[in-house]
Formats: sequence, structure tokens, C-alpha cells
Amino acid sequence: MMAREQDISETYNPWPKIGWATTAGIVVVSAVLGFGLLDRYQQAGPTLSVWSAICRGLGISSDTESTAEPQPTLRTPTRIAWTNATLDQIKAGDAKHGAFVTLVCTACHGEHGISQSALYPTLAGMDAATVYKQLDDFRSGKRSWGAMNAIAQALSLHDSADAAVYFAAQPDGLPALTGDRAPESGRSLRQSDPAKRLIFAGAPERGIPPCSACHGPGGYKLGAPALQGQQANYIEEQLLAFAQGMRQNDVFEQMRIIARQLTSDEMHAVAAFYAAPVGAPRVVGIPSR
Amino acid sequence: MKERAVQNSSRLALYHLWIAFGVFLPAVALGAWQMLMRSPLPAPLDDTNAYYTSVTLHGTAMAYAVTTFFAMGFGYAVTATSLGRPVRGIIAAWIGFVICLIGTVMAVVIVLIGRATVLYTFYPPLLASPWYYFGALLLIGGSMIWVVLMIYNMLIWKRDNPGQPVPLAMFAITATAILWAWAASGVIIELLFVLIPQALGITTRIDVGLGRTLFTVTLHAIVYFWLMPAYIAYYTLAPEAAGGRLYSDTAGRLTFIMLLVFSVPVGLHHVFQDPDIGAGFKFLQSFLTFFVALPTLLTVFSICASLEIAGRARGGRGLLGWLWALPWQEPMVLAVALSLVMLGLGGFGGFINMSYAMNQMVHNTTWVTAHFHLIWGGAVVTMYFAIAYEIWPRITGRPLRSKELARWQLWLWFAGMLIVTIPWHITGLMGMPRRVAAFDYGDPFVAPMGPLVIISAIGGLILLVSAILLIAILVRSHFGEGQLQAPLRYAIAVNPPKAIPASLNGFALWNAILLVLMVFAYGYPIGQFLFLKSSVPAYEVTHTATSGAGP
Repeated sequence: MMAREQDISETYNPWPKIGWATTAGIVVVSAVLGFGLLDRYQQAGPTLSVWSAICRGLGISSDTESTAEPQPTLRTPTRIAWTNATLDQIKAGDAKHGAFVTLVCTACHGEHGISQSALYPTLAGMDAATVYKQLDDFRSGKRSWGAMNAIAQALSLHDSADAAVYFAAQPDGLPALTGDRAPESGRSLRQSDPAKRLIFAGAPERGIPPCSACHGPGGYKLGAPALQGQQANYIEEQLLAFAQGMRQNDVFEQMRIIARQLTSDEMHAVAAFYAAPVGAPRVVGIPSR
Repeated sequence: MKERAVQNSSRLALYHLWIAFGVFLPAVALGAWQMLMRSPLPAPLDDTNAYYTSVTLHGTAMAYAVTTFFAMGFGYAVTATSLGRPVRGIIAAWIGFVICLIGTVMAVVIVLIGRATVLYTFYPPLLASPWYYFGALLLIGGSMIWVVLMIYNMLIWKRDNPGQPVPLAMFAITATAILWAWAASGVIIELLFVLIPQALGITTRIDVGLGRTLFTVTLHAIVYFWLMPAYIAYYTLAPEAAGGRLYSDTAGRLTFIMLLVFSVPVGLHHVFQDPDIGAGFKFLQSFLTFFVALPTLLTVFSICASLEIAGRARGGRGLLGWLWALPWQEPMVLAVALSLVMLGLGGFGGFINMSYAMNQMVHNTTWVTAHFHLIWGGAVVTMYFAIAYEIWPRITGRPLRSKELARWQLWLWFAGMLIVTIPWHITGLMGMPRRVAAFDYGDPFVAPMGPLVIISAIGGLILLVSAILLIAILVRSHFGEGQLQAPLRYAIAVNPPKAIPASLNGFALWNAILLVLMVFAYGYPIGQFLFLKSSVPAYEVTHTATSGAGP
């Protein structure tokens, strides 16, 4: 047996030499071309030094020095970032204490957060993270609305978390967003009802994503409230506020960009669609003038 | 006793292949529906969310389930037939089968209930339910049992037959298994250390750059994992079916060695537009990618030469007369021709994709979708069909009912795939993005693409008809009558190998070379995320599973 194994090893085997030599050649040629030669020459700009070319090849950019151009003043839309710490703080909220904290809210937002007035949003069932963020935005003045700024300033961070968890747990309000729903026909750009088309397919030619991707039904994004069952007037007013730049606490400015491009008829129709009770047939259209 | 062991090996292969084709048919139906959905034509269920769910299912089924089960089943069949003895480690093989099946069912169910609409590439920061990732991990991890078994079967055969060359088919399927182990390492590490911790809520930040870069390790090599069973059929089954001999055994071995070495350290050519990889490494992997063309060109040459030998042996004369003398009624011979045409067309498109500069023209457009449908959905799957038509009668002992029907099925698939992909190439050059559910065909920029998209949707329906025909043919021959005793035979080379150098009879050298190339091509691009963390944007991810703040 050993003798036969000897046989195969004695068969002339040039492949280790060929393999390693080819590999070395490929490594050297590609490294020289990729790091030393090709990336030195720029279409619009001076030829880089070898050192800069190597750095560029590695992805370490040298053109990050600050320029002398004037920078616009930095304005952040919110103080909230969705870090573990923030989420843990919200999760630690105490609904029982929240029930006590939110006694003051009932005057406008209704019993257990179910608003009876077109001016005020329903808070029952709203995602706790959303309530918490809005309270903080009111507290810091990132969002302004009448009494809310003063009320939020009176609340500690703990109180905010408690209130958020309390409202999230209240039944009969907004539906919980779970990110899934059964597929249904008529939820594409072929839909003839413009409100439904906007909500489920968006308006690509204007760069408007579908509302439902973040606000449901069927979509969910941390920090975006569910809208089904919300007060129609409230939704419409907020869209208007975003469009006019009166409200600026959307993190990436996405709501201001979207709302600016909606006609007032579209705002009305979208608000009416969402306001219809969950499960009820929604027959809304954009009224003709 | 031996009889029963052989039967068990055959049954093992057949179960794998049935799962592969069982998943294949519904996945084709989803694809056909997706094409209607994104066309100006009316679609049965026009819901944009459902489209992405469907794309995720179609991709997960085709890219992971069909291919993995097919490769495993084919691998067991090749092991048993080429070595002429039952598969060793059959119990482990069945365990692997069950694990892969559980993983597939888990992933499919989670996608179906809308918890994992992340497309089959599941690029972060898109995030799915952890159960989807666990399903993918079980499927890929279970197939590692197959990898080990292929290597084990080859090694013990070499031990039992010292000095003998490993049969080409066995050598090639072992190369496939080793390639899959290298390829899968990327996605396994991504799942374990980037995606699953995030999906379970252990972390709130995700390193998108690291996740994507790790996935590219898998992304290109996986395509060659899909491709290699087709290449094995080119080399070992096609010349036999044509009644000829393999032109060169050494060319075959070199092809599979080069496919192994050159298809892994090249994945960054899928992310040429990603900002967090340096231009040098993008060029470097683009450069390496061109070497993948070598084994393919070598294969086209060898197979044409082998078929010419067969054609001339059958009495063909003149420069091209041998072509007409080939037994075109054999599905395998027809499939090789159709497959090579699609491989050629798709391959030339691939040169555009992998060129660092030209890639910008087609990146993320339907051109890319067209490219990989031509290569995988065309060239590779056509060979899967042909392999099935060869293997089914051998395993079940019942001959194919009608070779004519099989030829119809192959021609329909060929026609359908060209009708699908040629318009896609054109719309891609016009700038139509891939992976978009709905287009506004009233828009003046999009409007000219409408007719092309309609044509491709018709191609999709033709493919669906062909897929139904395939299943009908396989079911008919499964439950047909008649006894057939013809073992699967592999083509003999013109000069059968007697003594071959150790390096062409094993993979130690080539694994060492691949390791060096991987460290060279991926060491820094992956390592940078561990050391230069500050330079890499870590995107925050939002998802119900991690917010933990809701009621």
C-alpha cells in the first residue's frame, strides 16, 4: 500500500509551482494596478501621490478636511435617538403611575385617551415610543402647540415613559401596528381612488412613499404613529403644519417633504380615509371642485 | 444487504430532488405573477406589499432551497454511482435532509405571514423576524453535513484505492461541496454575529457595511455552487448521452479547481456602489473576477470538442456536419446546446457587471435581474432538468414516458427565458430599477418601457407552462410502468487518466491558495469594520421586534 502511495507522489506534479506562481503574479499585478497606478489619475483633479493613492485604495479618504465655506446653523428636529437606553427607559414605564399622570390629559384627549374632539388626537393604543418622543419634543420646544409645551415641561422623563406606556395599553383606540396584514387587491398604482393609491402605493413621480409603509395598515416604523381611527381634522391639520413648516420635529424631514407636495384635497382625502373606523367600508374620494 | 444500501442511497437522492422540484414549481408561479404585477397589465392581486413578500419567497426558494436540495441530491447520486458503492454516512445524510427541510419550512412560513419581507439577500438595515434567520441558518447549516459527507466519501475512497485517480464526477462534486463551505462562511457569520443579535434585540445598532461585505463572500460563490452541478453534467453526462467521449479529463479537473479558487474572493463586484469599501479593493476583486471566465471558456471548448468527437463517431463529416449527426432527440444533448447559448449571452452581460467602471451603467437595474436569470434560470436550470431526465429513470427504474415532451419542455423554457430576459436587458439600460413593485407607466420617462415589460411578462407565463410540464413529466415517469436496468454511466475520457499528479486528485493545495487569496482580497475589507469602526456609519434599525416599547 505504501508503495502505491509512493507511485502517485512520484507522478510529476508541476501544479504547486504553477498554482503559487500564478497566485503571486495575480496578487502583485492587481495590487500594483489597484493601489498604486489606476487610482492615482483623476479625471478632474491633480494626480495623487503614491501614498494618497494607497489610502484611497483602502477607502481612507483624504478629502475630509473642513472647508472654509459658511455652514448653516445646525438645527436638530428632536432630542430623541432610538438607542437602547431610550427604548429601555420607555419599556421601564409604569402604566399604573401613568394612569395617575394622565388624569390631566383627559380634558382634551378624552377618557382613557379616546378623543371626542376633532381638534385633539386620540392617544389610546398609540405606540409608546411615539407618545414618549412627542412629549419630549414638546418639552424641548421642538414641537409647539398651545398648552402642550407647558404640560410636557411639568413632566419628568419617568412621567413621560409612564404616560406613554399607559396610553399604549388603552383599548378601543388606534390599532396596534404589527407590520403584517393580509394582501388585498387594489393596493397598487392601478387603484383608481387617489387616496387609496397614495396610502398604499405612494406617488413615485413625486417621490412620495406610501403612507401605509410607516403608519399602517401593514407597515410600521419606530416613532411613527398608527393613523387608522385617528381624528380626521387632526391628521389634516398636521399635514398642513408639516407642509407650511410650522411643525418640524420629523427626524429626517420626511413628513415635511411629503406634505409639501400634497394638494389640500389629497390631505383631506387621506385624513378621511384614515379616520374611518377600523373595519368599516371606506368610501372616500377627492371631491371635485 | 448491499442491494438495500444502494436503494437507500438512491432514495436519499430522490427525496432531495423531489423537494427541489416541489419548491421550484410554486416559485416559478410567484415569479410569473410578479412580472404581471410590475407590468402595465392587470394582475390578479395588485398589492405592492404582496409583491415584496413574493419576491422574498421567490428568491429564498430558488436561491437557497431549490439549489441546495438539488446539489445535495445530485451529490449523493454522483457519490453512489461514480464510486460504485453506497454513500457512507447515510444516517447523517438523512439527518441533514431533515434539518434542511425544517429550515426551509420555517423560512417560508415566516415570509408567508409577512414577518420577513427582506428579499432573499436580507441586506441590513432591513430586518426580519429572527425565525426567518434561524430558518436560513438551519437550511445552510444542514447542508454543511452534506459538505462533510462529500469530502469524507472522497477521502475514504482514496484511502481504499490508493494511487487511483478519483473519478471526475466525484472530484467535481467534492469541489462543489468545498466551494459551498467557503461561500456559506460569509452568510453564516453575518447571520450569527450581525443579523440574529439585532433581530433578537440584543443590539440596537447594526453595522450595515460589515453585514453587506460578509454577504458578498457568499453572494458570488453561491452562484457557482448553483452552477457546478450543471458543469458536472456538461463534462460527465453530456458526452455519454451524445455517444462520445470526454475530450480531456485534465481540462475537467482544472475547470473545477479554477471555479473553486476564483469564485470566492470576487464578491465585492456586487457592491461596487457601496461607499464603505475602498476603490483599490473594488478594482482588485473586479480584476480577480475576470479569471472566472477561464474555466468557463475551457468548458465551452472541451464540451464542443467532446460533442464533435461524438458527432464524428456517428458519421458526421465536414466542418460542421458533425453538429447534425448528434442525437438531438436526447434531452441531455439538446439541453447542453440550449444551456450553452444562454450561458454565452448571460456571460457576456456578466463582463459588463463585473467591470468596475461599466457597472455604474447597469447597477441595480433590471439588467442585473436579466443577467442572473439567464445564467441561473436559463443555463443552470436547463441542466437541472436534463439531469433529472437522466437520473429519474435510473432511480425509479421506469423510463421517461416521452422524450418528445421533455424536448418540448426544454424548448419552452429556453424560449420563455429569452423572452423574459432580452426586454429586461433593454429596460435596464433605459434605467429601470430592479426590485420595485409598481411603476407609473403614465410617466414620460417610464412609458417607453411599458411594451417591453409586457413582452417579458408573456415570457414569464411561458416559463410557468414549461415548469408545469416538467413536474407532469417527472410525476408520469415516477408512477409509470416498465422496468429499466441501466445504471447512470459517466463519459470516459479520450485518454482515461491512469496516474495523475496528487494536486489534480485532491484539494489541499487549492484550499491553501484560496485561503491566501481570501486573506488578500477580504482581510482588510472585513477587518476594517473591526478596527476603524468610527469611519463606518452604523445605521439604526427600526422594527417591532426590537422596539420593545409597544404594549
